[in-house]
Amino acid sequence: MMKKILQIKNAPILFHRKVSSCARHISLSLPAIAGTAEPGQFLHLRISSGSPSPLLRRPFSINDVQGDRVSILYEVKGAGTKLLSKMLPGETLDVIGPLGMGFDIDPQKREHLLVAGGMGLAPMGLLARSLKGMKLKPELLYGCRSSAELVKPGITGCQISSEDGSCGKKGLVTSLLLDRLRICRDPAVYACGPWPMLKAVAGICHKNNIPCQVSLESFMACGVGACQGCVVKNSDGNYVSVCDKGPVFNSRQIDWDQDCVI
Amino acid sequence: MKKVKTIDLRVSIAGLELKNPVIAASGTFGYGAEYSGLAEPGDFGAIITKTVTLEPRPGNRPPRICETSCGMLNSIGLANVGFAVFREDKLPALIKKNTVIIANIAGNTIEEYVELAARLNKISDIPALELNISCPNVKLGGIAFGTDPASAAALTKAVRRAYKKTLIVKLSPNVSDIAGIARAVESSGADALSLINTLYGMAVDIKKQRPVLGNITGGLSGPAIKPVALYNLYKVHHSVKIPLIGLGGIMDHRDALEFMITGAAAVQIGTANFVNPSAVKDILSGLAGYCRENDITRIKNLTGILKC
Ligand SMILES: Cc1cc2nc3c(=O)[nH]c(=O)nc-3n(C[C@H](O)[C@H](O)[C@H](O)COP(=O)(O)OP(=O)(O)OC[C@H]3O[C@@H](n4cnc5c(N)ncnc54)[C@H](O)[C@@H]3O)c2cc1C
Ligand SMILES: Cc1cc2nc3c(=O)[nH]c(=O)nc-3n(C[C@H](O)[C@H](O)[C@H](O)COP(=O)(O)O)c2cc1C
Ligand code: FES
Repeated sequence: MMKKILQIKNAPILFHRKVSSCARHISLSLPAIAGTAEPGQFLHLRISSGSPSPLLRRPFSINDVQGDRVSILYEVKGAGTKLLSKMLPGETLDVIGPLGMGFDIDPQKREHLLVAGGMGLAPMGLLARSLKGMKLKPELLYGCRSSAELVKPGITGCQISSEDGSCGKKGLVTSLLLDRLRICRDPAVYACGPWPMLKAVAGICHKNNIPCQVSLESFMACGVGACQGCVVKNSDGNYVSVCDKGPVFNSRQIDWDQDCVI
Repeated sequence: MKKVKTIDLRVSIAGLELKNPVIAASGTFGYGAEYSGLAEPGDFGAIITKTVTLEPRPGNRPPRICETSCGMLNSIGLANVGFAVFREDKLPALIKKNTVIIANIAGNTIEEYVELAARLNKISDIPALELNISCPNVKLGGIAFGTDPASAAALTKAVRRAYKKTLIVKLSPNVSDIAGIARAVESSGADALSLINTLYGMAVDIKKQRPVLGNITGGLSGPAIKPVALYNLYKVHHSVKIPLIGLGGIMDHRDALEFMITGAAAVQIGTANFVNPSAVKDILSGLAGYCRENDITRIKNLTGILKC
């Protein structure tokens, strides 16, 4: 089936709030996209319609879908996200979506481990919702730098780690994963976060022969597979576009020795 | 009630008839199917496909794109599927769409360009060819032919012999005298010119103290290059008689009008497709509106009416 991608020029912002020292949650009325969005897919936002700066759209994972509402969770990084952070409920955004290939859920697996680092929490909301919809039990392992940056995940069954020990277990999310894997029978891992974390998670899963899916980031222009601007190297040594072949990949398809592209 | 006047949007480029003057620029609209649901090939007067080479090319190492002030850099490096896959897998779907297909080609040598041109000459569904002699992102071929009038002329002549349909040559702004190149290409048998391709550019990540692009340098496109593109168009318009297709930073119908008034018979949009896939529709309705307001019934009458 062809996936339906839409451009909604005037999606109203319903609410927009700060949820940690660096993260914000923005909810958009997007009935046409809410119906088809899958976990791991993303929206491509034009942040300043009509002005040439910022010029390109910015990609953001779909954080959650509730009724007609689609939300994203984001961090202010540069000019685009700074402008976005100033937008108010009632204002509108030009949205393209839902884009990309999301997470595959294998209902045969016993444990479903959602491994998130920092803003990598973003796609886990909808993934957890979908798992629950299939009567499966998501378990979130969520690592952040400190309690100030912790976003309340809103997912039951969550373990937290922080680099400075100010919340949860002190250390990296990979140590939560290693602990949890010791008592797993037949797990599947779904990971999103910075490249070094994904590389470490993929390494652990490969060693233990556990299926692992990773959501990657890349600079994007078109978002639909037309420009070949967003590529990463796969394990065959070929370049694949993240926007349409990903952003979620089987971790074995990726060449983890390449330099991180972001 | 006053009837809304319909505007004749058709244009003709050296005998190539287009239903409207807005063309998708090579490398920005893929092979036509990627934007399904957002923009259709049939919206455009023509689609220029991604540069194709004889053999597939992997392209340059990432990162390949980076935003700069009012523009973007790319160093894709002519990543493409190669001619065989282009013809077998990509073309059949595009042919079914209601648009004119223009194939854009590049090679490492004159012989490779000629071989591609000869193969395309036999494909009846493709009535025109755009020669890419202006890609700044590959070492061999591409821009090597586009920066020297003698090489550009030799290549055009050789391709002309092998190709009987509409031959368009795409020029680079990365030269000291674009009019000289344009004249050389015209006298070697080109039917029309597209201008401009991207400008050489670069960006540095000050945190890493490294170039942002994996290829170090890239090509600049988008609104930032529009004045440069218009200037080049203006210069070439006064130097050759063959029709010109203008591009470089066109985002809306006002930009498109600037190019047409300066001398473009048609325009291409590139970066605009990324920012706003419905740019083609927005531009066409804006052009029609402008014609109505200014009592112009045929859009082709706008070409080159610049008063200086
Ligand atoms: C599929 C996908 C999903 C994403 N989901 C989220 C999300 O849910 N929440 C979130 O906060 N961010 C997400 N990102 C990253 C987000 O797109 C960037 O942070 C954003 O584009 C930065 O824009 P800016 O204008 O603020 O920064 P810019 O001024 O463009 O750049 C500032 C810095 O941000 C980083 N950056 C720029 N573009 C990207 C990019 N495309 N991807 C990653 N980093 C980038 C670079 O390190 C750059 O130096 C996602 C990226 C991708 C590719
Ligand atoms: C990502 C990207 C890929 C491109 N690929 C090609 C290409 O394969 N062949 C070509 O002739 N031009 C290519 N171009 C150049 C465009 O066709 C166009 O000449 C240029 O971008 C200027 O127009 P614009 O400002 O409207 O984008 C590419 C441009 C971009 C941004
Ligand atoms: S962003 Fe254009 S191919 Fe992925």
